[in-house]
Formats: sequence, structure tokens, C-alpha cells
Amino acid sequence: MHRRIAAVWRPILAMWLAVATVPFSSAFAEDGHIAAAVLKRIFPAATHFGSVGGAPPAIPAYRNDEIIGHVFRSHAVVRSVGLSGKTLDIAVGLDAAGIITGAEILEHHEPILAIGVSDDDLARFVAKFSGRDARLPIQVLRRAPKDGTAVDAVSGATVSSLLMADAIFQSAIAVGRSRGVLEGGASGIDLTGFEEADWQTLLADGSLRRLVLTLGEVTRPLADKGARLYPAGAGPDDPDIRFIDLVAGLATPARIGRNLLGPQRFNRLVGALAPGDHLIFVAANGLYSFKGTGYVKSGRFDRIQITQGERTFQLTRDDHTRIEQLRIAGAPKFREMALFVLRQDRGFDAARPWRLELLVEGESDAGSVLTVHTLDYGLPGRYIPAAGTAQPRVPSQDLWRAVWLDRLPDVVLLIGMLLILGAIFFLQDLVARRRILYKALRYGFLIVTLFWLGWYAAAQLTVINVLTFTAALRTEFEWEFFLLEPLIFILWAFVAVALLFGGRGAFCGWLCPFGALQELLNRIARRFRVPQFRLPFTLHERLWPVKYIIFLSLFALSLGAFDMAYTAAEVEPFKTAIVMRFVREWPFLLYVAVLLGAGLFVERAFCRYLCPLGAALAVPARIRMFEWLKRRWHCGQQCNICATKCPVQAIHPNGSINPNECIYCLNCQTLYFDDQTCPPLIVRRKRREKHDAEPFAEGV
Amino acid sequence: MRTADRKARRRALTILAAAAGFPMLGVRSAMARAPRLEWRGQALGGPARIVLRHPDNQRARQVLSHCVAEIDRLESVFSLYRPSSELAQLNQRGKLASPSHDLRLVMAAAKRFGVLSDGAFDVTVQPLWQTYARHFATRPGDRRGPAARELARAAALVDYRNLDLDEGRIRLARPGMAVTLNGIAQGYITDRIADLLRDAGMTGVLVDLGEMRALDAPGEDPWRIGIEDPRNRGRIIGSLPLRGAALATSGGYGMPFDEDGRFHHLFDPATGRSAAQCLSATAVAPDAMTADALATALAVAKRERTRALLAAFGGSHARLILPDGGVVEATP
Repeated sequence: MHRRIAAVWRPILAMWLAVATVPFSSAFAEDGHIAAAVLKRIFPAATHFGSVGGAPPAIPAYRNDEIIGHVFRSHAVVRSVGLSGKTLDIAVGLDAAGIITGAEILEHHEPILAIGVSDDDLARFVAKFSGRDARLPIQVLRRAPKDGTAVDAVSGATVSSLLMADAIFQSAIAVGRSRGVLEGGASGIDLTGFEEADWQTLLADGSLRRLVLTLGEVTRPLADKGARLYPAGAGPDDPDIRFIDLVAGLATPARIGRNLLGPQRFNRLVGALAPGDHLIFVAANGLYSFKGTGYVKSGRFDRIQITQGERTFQLTRDDHTRIEQLRIAGAPKFREMALFVLRQDRGFDAARPWRLELLVEGESDAGSVLTVHTLDYGLPGRYIPAAGTAQPRVPSQDLWRAVWLDRLPDVVLLIGMLLILGAIFFLQDLVARRRILYKALRYGFLIVTLFWLGWYAAAQLTVINVLTFTAALRTEFEWEFFLLEPLIFILWAFVAVALLFGGRGAFCGWLCPFGALQELLNRIARRFRVPQFRLPFTLHERLWPVKYIIFLSLFALSLGAFDMAYTAAEVEPFKTAIVMRFVREWPFLLYVAVLLGAGLFVERAFCRYLCPLGAALAVPARIRMFEWLKRRWHCGQQCNICATKCPVQAIHPNGSINPNECIYCLNCQTLYFDDQTCPPLIVRRKRREKHDAEPFAEGV
Repeated sequence: MRTADRKARRRALTILAAAAGFPMLGVRSAMARAPRLEWRGQALGGPARIVLRHPDNQRARQVLSHCVAEIDRLESVFSLYRPSSELAQLNQRGKLASPSHDLRLVMAAAKRFGVLSDGAFDVTVQPLWQTYARHFATRPGDRRGPAARELARAAALVDYRNLDLDEGRIRLARPGMAVTLNGIAQGYITDRIADLLRDAGMTGVLVDLGEMRALDAPGEDPWRIGIEDPRNRGRIIGSLPLRGAALATSGGYGMPFDEDGRFHHLFDPATGRSAAQCLSATAVAPDAMTADALATALAVAKRERTRALLAAFGGSHARLILPDGGVVEATP
């Protein structure tokens, strides 16, 4: 999923969705802006602040006339996302020494209310990072030791805690690098910029680095351990003789590689690279060969290796290209030259410093002694333009595995629920024949759906899932983002299969917590004899399309302005009523109250006419494969009992069930088997009773 | 269980550093006045600490972050906690076709130290350790230790000469052999970090990964390294100056298998029994890898070989704490 589609709060101005526009704080109107009060809190040492600018966007913090640091929003810098897969936005301050001055959450969608964690807990957590060094990201542990080497995660929200720490450090590093506070740059390397440069120029500006070792410099550390480079008397012994004169550098930028190799050879070699892979140029003179001869047989170079940060790269024959001739002016003649491919998928980042390590082996009476000499390389800043917009950060595999493990009990419970529901559908006739069993199953299930699935686990599917999914299909699809919500993921998998088999009803009628809430409230209302309104079928039918219009509008919005679609999706009361359990500003509560109020008189009014998710499900459900709901030829011809009893009026006066509206509650099936209600069955029963009562009448 | 044991095994080598590094009177250079920076973290499952001075705090932090990355890199070579580490792979498969420079260097050194100590230092004792760990896991508090037959079987696998290091590959010549680099890898990492800091121009450097290395700092007092009392852990019973050199301590007391401490991780490869020559052995040598191996060799070898081992390893100082509480100082 591409992070661009994740929402950034913006006020909605004129939309037909008046209800979604709320006096929400709109202080963060544009990308990167931060309210003055927040700035002051997270960078108290500053006297005033500049305006947002640069790439990535940040606000300079001043003390008098001097810039003493920056404040920025993690989402604007690294497109940080939370466990929900939605925007996680933290305002972070970074001073000129690379120390984090403070952090404050601006926006999050962590499903924390479901697990009893408050916003204050999260705020206290991010505050712990002030005073930390951005270069030394600190570990977040479920239970951290008290020595300050790690930070305690918010209990119950370990993964969210990890992601928040990640957002803080990654954005601080990105801003720090781009502002020259921290070293290294983002992966944006200028590979194409070209100008003629000779050998001396490239060496002088650091594009190429050199390591010169004399024989003495190599033999001394060996002699300290009683070892010799050569058998006594067999090799040269002048300590000032040149052992190796090694030059190395990144060859992928045109200014380096094209000058070294000439345009044709350069273009051919670079053209053969996978994106993100790089070439390293190595050349040497002197007594010692950096290639050795072992690679011919073993396939790997045993005298050189590249290390970068926490990674070690061994060089193999497959990565090796021999160079015979340099095109660059002023280069000496080298005894051996080579290019090596360093691969991005193995973790090489050309913008970060790396080391070429040269291994020299000596022999002592007690065995061989190995020594290492290093050439340090850092790509000069001229090849690294200011970091552009950061790439979206995809959660790692480990992360979603951790999430699944963390929520394993919930996953198991949900699968149990779905198995029961599947059994109800497959055995629907058996269930429908037993009215008491049916009622127990139906209301029991709805109660679990509402209380456990909805209010406890916050696993309410929403039209936003549909929009993000289709948006992800159009841009970059990453399963990981969807896998971060195990329950939602499982529910969607089930709903997809159920759509194919029977339609939207399996979800709408059984697994939608808000649907369950409406239905249960309506049952209670009926018990208190609240009058029920039945809309005339023609009007009812004319209102059906409204939800499709809402869905199509949201879909159209999501193509252009996903953040607006995200806000507009508040037409669904799910977030207020289920995910946030009514802990929200009053306009949202009012909206939910209106919908639920309407539902007391018109059962599932929202589902019938407004729900965009129901509409979104009804469309693909047209490919369903089975019609399992039983009908009689009398239905609609002689009798309309099912149609009048249908809680969502999904049965046409002609007796056919509209699968786009049906919530698969099985009510009509209980009637189908009820010989007290279904007229054809009543007739049959009466005939049988009469027959039973007059056992001897037959012969008459 | 294994993890916990290994952690404990590392603690055996822990000694306490009494921080010093204050400039001598009259030679207060700018470097000596530079602010001190300290990092604490983990390396190979044990506590790690780096102390340094540099006038440019930002530069110092940057270099420190390189050190942390380097520790991380070397953990993926030497760690027994990471199943994917080169060492874990070597033990699992018995050979490695393309080991990193780092593993080759340490294995070559390990073999050489084996030769120099005539087997007192031997990295192939891992089967013995496994035998003891298994035994005391099933029979905690047992006073007799593993059966002689079991020990003999494990001891038969122990021989550094069966490490085949030819042509840049590593092979364990006998099936069942296994290697532990706990007596030497910390030292190697310590040296790498110290080199990195020296190349970056840091001063007042002390790298403490269980083994300690102090860089030579002109105009500064030497560090004083406290030595822990083996019979009263946490108490310091003496100290040694350290400057431009490395210091390591080995003692069976750090990781006993039983309450009396008769069985511990410092095995005499010749007998398969835990060594009982001394309670702890401290060695000072030019680099931490050597000091690390030397301390282990001293703790295992007969006392009369102390001076000869010091000379063979190139160590400059040794201090043994004997079972009766006596202290032996030795120089080559």
C-alpha cells in the first residue's frame, strides 16, 4: 500500500456530508505545519520558529538569530504509519547536536481504546524520547531493564510503541541527515550528473579513496605476534617498499564511473545492474594482490571484504568484472583492477559510509596470523542531493508476525466464531426448523459480534478498508499493511468467500458490530412496543440506491483525494459507535444517535439506505454461486408474510429475495418451515389434523 | 536454558572498572578537557560499555553510532544466540565454505593460542561444556559431576589441532566437534571497536565488553581497573593500571555449575575436569583478544607455566588469585 493514500487530516469544506464536518482542530492544515503551542512544548529552548520548508519539510527553531534545531512531523517526513496501517503523526524536535528535544503525538489511529490504553499513556510514552540521541535509537521492550538502556513499551500496545519509536527516530534521522546534523543521506544519490574530471580531481574530492601500505606497516603487526609475511629470506625486506597502493570508490555515479571507464563501458555495466545495486571500483599496485588466486577455484575473493554498518559483504566471482583499461586522464597504470557489484537487496546503501577490508596473512611457528587493514569510504556530499520525499516505510515481516502472535487468542476466538457461522449457514434448514435454537443462535451471535468483535476487539470492517485496498491495487500493493490487523484480515478473507457463496448478508447480518447494535436495540424497542414504520415498497425501493451513490462518491473521492474520502467515510458511524466506543466529540455522537434513533422505528435504517460498505459488498456479490434461501411457488403469489416479516424489507412483493439487500438473517427460512405461519404449511397441517381426527373418514 | 547459561558464562569474565582518565597536572591539553561520552549497551549477550573523549560532541556521537553498528555486525559473526551467525552455522554444519575475515582471523588466532599454550587454551571445549550443562540441568546440585565415561567421550572431541583452516575455509575435522569463542570473540570485538575509535581520533577511550582495552592517551592518567574478589562478588580486592593495553580476567567463580563452585566453565582440556589452579586469572596484553585468551590459559594451566605463557602470548602482566586467597603476580 502506498503511503500517499493514507489520510492526512484536512478540513472538509463543502460536502454533501454535512455531518462529517466537525469543529475539529484544524491547526495542522498543511503538510508539515505545527501549532505554535506544540512547537513551544517540544522545543522549549527556542525563542521563535521559522516557517516550514525544505525536503523533508521541517520548521527551523531559532534562539535569537541562530538556528538551534528543527521541529517536524513524522508523517510529513517518513510517512509513518501506526499499527492500524493509518497515519501516525508525531511532532518531533531535533537540536543541532542530534538530540531529540521532545515529541508529541498529533494524530494516531491506534486501536488502543479496545485494550484499555489511553491517549495519555501514549503521550507519556513518546515524551520519554526527549533527550535521546537520534543516532542511537533506543530499544523498546515489553519490560525494559531499569538502567536506562531501553524504554518500556506501553503495556498492551507493544507494537504501537515500537512503531511510535520508529516514527520518531526515522524522521529524526531523515531530517538530521538532510540538514547536515547527522551524517549519511537518504538513498537519493545523483547517479546521472556528469562533468569531465581527471584522476587527481576524483582523488582530491573524495570520490576515490586511497590506502597506501608499506612493507614495514604490514610486517610490524605480524612481527608483534611472531609471524612473518614470507619465509625468512624469501621476500623483499626493505620496510619502505610499497606493499600495496589501493584505490577504491563507488563507480555508479556517472561523474565517477563514466570518467573512469568511458561512456560505452560505463553505460553497458550500469545498464546491467538491478535498480538500487551499485558498482565498487578497486584498483591496486604493489607487492600484494588484493584478488589473490583463490577466487579462480573457490569462486570467492578471500583477501577483501566490504563492511557497512552492521553488514558484511563477501565478494564473489559472480559479482566481479575485470577492468583492463581506464579511460580517465592522469591515472597511473595499475597491476590489477576490478568492479564489484554490491546489492541493495543484501542491504548495501551507497549513501552510507563503507569500509574495504584487506586481509594479510602471515606465518608464525605456532600457525598463521591474520591481520586486517581498512580503507574507509564515504560518498562525498556532492553526489547526495538533499533528501527528497521519503519512501513509504513498509512494516517488516517480523512486525506482522509479532502482531499475529500478540493477538493469537483473539485470532483463535474469531476463527471459532466464523466456524460457528459457517456451520449455521451449511445447516440452515436444521436451524430454521427449530425456532428457539434459531433465536438463541441469532441473538447470541449478535451479542458476541457487538460486544466482543466490535467493542472489545474493534474489528469493524469499514468502507475505508475497501478504498485502501483498491487504492493499494492501483499503486503499490503490500500484503504487510493488511496483515498488521489480523482480525480485519481474517474477517475480510471470510467475507470474500461468503460473498462468492451467498452475498453481502453473511457480513451485514452477522459480523457487522454496528448492524448488530441496530438490530439488538430495535429488538429492545419492540419489546417496549415502540411503533414500527414500514415504508411503502416503492419509496423503499427508491431509497436503496442512496447507499450506492454514497459508495460511488467515496470511491470517486478516493481516486483523487484519498484524505477527503477518508474523512467523508465518517458517514459510517462505525468509528464513533464501535471503534471509539462513543468517546468522541458531540457532533459525531449526535449523528450516531440520529441513526440509532431512526433504527428504533425502522429496523436497520442505516444498513438499508445509507451504508456504503453494504453497497460496496453488494456489487461484487452479484457473482454469487448459490441460492440457498428456500422459496415456495406461493410466495408473492398468494402470500406475502415473509416479505412483511423481513427485517430489512429485502423481499419484493413478487416474492423474490433481493440478494443486494438481504442480510441473511434466516428469518424467512424459519417462516418457511413454520406450519403455524406459512400458509401452504398451514393448509397441509390442517389437512393432516383433519385426517388424524377422522381416522375412519377415509373410506367414506 | 542454554541462553541463560551462556549469559551467565559471560558474567564470569566481568570485572569492575574504576573510572579514571583524569588529566595529570600541568598537561591539560584541549583533548584532555574534552567532554566525556559514555555508551552502555549489550555485546554478545553481556553488558558493554564504551567511554571516550572528544571536543566535538556531535562527531563523538557519530563515531559511537559506528561502533554500535560494528558490534551488531560482529554479533552476526560470533553470536551463539543468533542461529544464523557464522559460528552457529559452523557448529551446526561442521564447516564453512566462505567465512568472513573476522571469523577466519579469530579462528586462526584461536588455533595459534592453542599451540602457544600447549592446549590449555582450546576453543573446541564446547562438547565438554554441553556435557556439564546437560548433567547439571537434569541433576542440579549433584556433587559428583558427570560420569567419567561421558566426560571421556566429550573430551575425546576436544582438540584445537582438528580445526582445519586451510584455503580460507573452516572445517571441524571430527564429527561432533563444536567451537565456543566466548574466551576470545569479546576480545576481538573490543579490539575492533578500539581501532575504530583510535582511527577516528578519539581519546580517553576505554572499551569494556568484559575484556577491557584502553587506548594510549598522552597527557592522561592510566585507567585503574578494579579486580573483583572471586569469593565475594561485587567487591574489589585490588586494581591494575591500564594504558595503551588490554586486560582480561577469567575465573571459574563466574559461572559455577554447582554451589561449591567445584564445577565450572573453565575446563582443563587434558582431563575434561574444571580447572582448580586458581580462582581467577587476570592478564594484561597489548590487545584484548590476546589478553582474553591468555587469561583463560592462565586459569587452566599449571601455575608454574604462568611466566612461560605470558612470554609466549606476549602478555606483560598476570595476577592470579589462588584458592587459599593468596595472590601471585607475574611478569614474563
